[in-house]
Amino acid sequence: MSFSIKENKTILFALAFIIIVGFWQPNVLMDGIQRGSMYAVIALPLALVLGILGVLNLAHGEFLTVGLYISYMFYNRFNLDPLLSIIPVSIILLVFGGLIYLLTVKRVIKEGHLNQLLLTFGISMILLEGVKMIWTTRPRNVFTDYAYASASIGEFSFGTYGLIYLLIAVLVLVFLQLFLKKTRLGQATFAVGQNPKGARIVGINVNLVYLFVFSISIAILGIVGGAMLPRTAIFPAVGSPYSLKSFALAAMAGLGNLNGILFAGIILGIGEAIINAIPGYSGWADLVFFGVLIIVILTRAFREAR
Amino acid sequence: MNSKNIILILLAIALVFPLFAGPYFVNVLTTIFVFLALSLSWDMMLRTGQLSFGTAAFFGLGAYASAITVLKLGWNPLFSIVIGGLFAGLISYILGYAVLKLREIYFSITTLAITSVFSVIIRNMSDLTGGAGGATFKSAIFNGDPTKIYYLLLFLTLVVIGISEWFKRSKIHFAINSIRNDEVTAKSSGIDVFKYLLLVFVITSIIQGVIGAVYAQQYAFVEPESTFSLNFLLLPIAMALVGGIYSTNGPIIGAFILGIISEYLKLIIPYGHLIVYGLIIVIVVLYMPSGIYKTVKGKMLTNNGRRESYDHT
Amino acid sequence: MTTLKTDNIVKKFGGLTAVNKLSFSVDKGEILGIIGPNGAGKTTVINLIAGTLPVSEGKIYFSETDVTNKAPHIRNQMGIARTFQTVRPLKDFTAIENIMVGSLFGQKKDLKAGREYAEEIAQLLNFKNINKPIDELTVLELKKIEIGRALASKPDLLFLDEVMAGLNSEEIWELIEIVRKLQQQEMAICVVEHIMKVVKELTSNVVVLENGQIIAEGPYEEVSADEQVIAAYLGEDY
Repeated sequence: MSFSIKENKTILFALAFIIIVGFWQPNVLMDGIQRGSMYAVIALPLALVLGILGVLNLAHGEFLTVGLYISYMFYNRFNLDPLLSIIPVSIILLVFGGLIYLLTVKRVIKEGHLNQLLLTFGISMILLEGVKMIWTTRPRNVFTDYAYASASIGEFSFGTYGLIYLLIAVLVLVFLQLFLKKTRLGQATFAVGQNPKGARIVGINVNLVYLFVFSISIAILGIVGGAMLPRTAIFPAVGSPYSLKSFALAAMAGLGNLNGILFAGIILGIGEAIINAIPGYSGWADLVFFGVLIIVILTRAFREAR
Repeated sequence: MNSKNIILILLAIALVFPLFAGPYFVNVLTTIFVFLALSLSWDMMLRTGQLSFGTAAFFGLGAYASAITVLKLGWNPLFSIVIGGLFAGLISYILGYAVLKLREIYFSITTLAITSVFSVIIRNMSDLTGGAGGATFKSAIFNGDPTKIYYLLLFLTLVVIGISEWFKRSKIHFAINSIRNDEVTAKSSGIDVFKYLLLVFVITSIIQGVIGAVYAQQYAFVEPESTFSLNFLLLPIAMALVGGIYSTNGPIIGAFILGIISEYLKLIIPYGHLIVYGLIIVIVVLYMPSGIYKTVKGKMLTNNGRRESYDHT
Repeated sequence: MTTLKTDNIVKKFGGLTAVNKLSFSVDKGEILGIIGPNGAGKTTVINLIAGTLPVSEGKIYFSETDVTNKAPHIRNQMGIARTFQTVRPLKDFTAIENIMVGSLFGQKKDLKAGREYAEEIAQLLNFKNINKPIDELTVLELKKIEIGRALASKPDLLFLDEVMAGLNSEEIWELIEIVRKLQQQEMAICVVEHIMKVVKELTSNVVVLENGQIIAEGPYEEVSADEQVIAAYLGEDY
């Protein structure tokens, strides 16, 4: 399926949109880019699992919550700086993700979407309630001095912390590109994503690929969690909305289009930031993503009906 | 003792229950009825092959529609319950019309999203709905009389059971099962798949709306967080899985088992007792797809249990 | 009045043209054979006419009515029925219930009448164990309920998609007899087959497909001697 002409038009529109917003409300643009990158980095692992394993992980957001709480634990107990805690947390989540895959997801890969959705839904509830049990519903916060760093361009000053998400997003995308093209496991992963049966016939250990992709996806959430910690109030349901928002981005960008997710994320992030900035309407900001999700789904419905 | 007799005995017990049980137990049974109806309605949609995460959404919509008609229009609570159901049905019709052309994950995800969407909308329309703080009514339905509420819910639950059985015994049974087993074959054999999916979706949403409305009237209170609570999604699913999906008996059995257990759990585990339901769902999906009840019963009769997956693809 | 007439139907899947300007017709009581090498588009043609897939271009006329834009279930109710190449039994039902689906929805009968009609069809097909569950049926029985389900909707036009595959000689003859009985009832029948013996026995006319186009048309004897057909077909012989 080639979108070339359509893609160029979309990119042009988007760039125009970005430039207009940049002149009209530069704060909103900055806010949007930072939020959007955050949504994109969170969405990338979901898209990976969906694309390669074919499983929609409804517990995605709850894994992020776990990452946030574990980072918090490192800060609370060992006074470890959140950004430094990224290292241990991502390793812990890598292993955790692997265990969850081996114990549960592996068994439903062949069972069809119903079972997979029910399973990941069950896991999301277990994680959500488990976190509640251990840490109660009292919100937690972490204070660092760099969380509120800012910079200025001429008269315009803006918070810079959120750019870390853009950095992480770009790094992850670059890493993925290199990985998929240059390493053996990466090429195997790509093959499995294209055609699991064919890959198996050629001798690729599909199960290992699945294990790896799932674990890495959870590990990435650990990285994001560490980065989110300084700026986010943590409570049991903190990560939950990101499952749907990530799916909205993945659906919008199209399956397999990982770079498109960063792009779509930024656009939606700016959209959310715009609504947020309108006095009196900030409560509706969450609907930007859902609105897009509905539109994407409806467009598909019409395309498939004919 | 054949099953018809068992049913009659249970029905008799249910009818006279409030006469000899105290208000606490009447309330427990009333709550079980609420979740039983929700669980059955979820299962009825599941029988078409579509997994809906929307029970809490339509439950909440019905609750709020009923609340608004009572609070803003001063209408009779019983009538407002009808409105609750109809409103949920209307929204589900519009939604279903748009989304039921798609299947599987897109449908499921949309039903998951609508709970949040409705919650956000209601939170923001505070003039109409009382916003995030919620709204309280002047009085509960029947002035809070637990016995009358019990009989109302018993009646509604029997209606829902009746609908579930109708789905199983009439021509609709053939349509629903064919659609679940093999949609292409169903289409080629004259079944209007879309019509049946929409029909089941709307009927089950109306049920959820009605139950939500009754619940709101019972507690004389609506509030976005508790009215759209995940409780009303998680428990019905767990109950159907425990008792055995694709059946009328399954959700009933599951509702009683889990309903009673839930009372204890709430006391033992103050924070996070819902974790048990998550565990139940995971365990049943992985190891006992025909439901805990059927699996245990099967083992006891040394039956040769066959492993079935939920989707017959 | 012809039962079926297609007018230059085309089916494209993205860049691939699976069916390219196909026009043919079938009459009441006629058995038309559709043959061609694998990938020629035979099953796609069935899908287009039954409505499982929409056409990209062209028109389909059933008993003089334009059905090109009608949904598959409507076409079935109007009188078009088909079997599937790989049998697709409905696993939750018994054999007779599988057949009933056709009479309940293809004909809109109620449960009792639908069951009675299905039992008659089972009789016609010499099907003995009507209450057996699906997993206990033999290959021949599975094929019979596939045909039975199609027949139960009382079609005027029936497509049999490689229905003889996997059967032994005796079983093939049994089905041939059944198809002949249907022909006597003035049903228009299209038989897609790889087994030439069957095509020779049953059909009055044959249409040969290659790459989505008709490369030859006529009685089996003519068509099987056609050089183009032999070239396209090399080796697909019973």
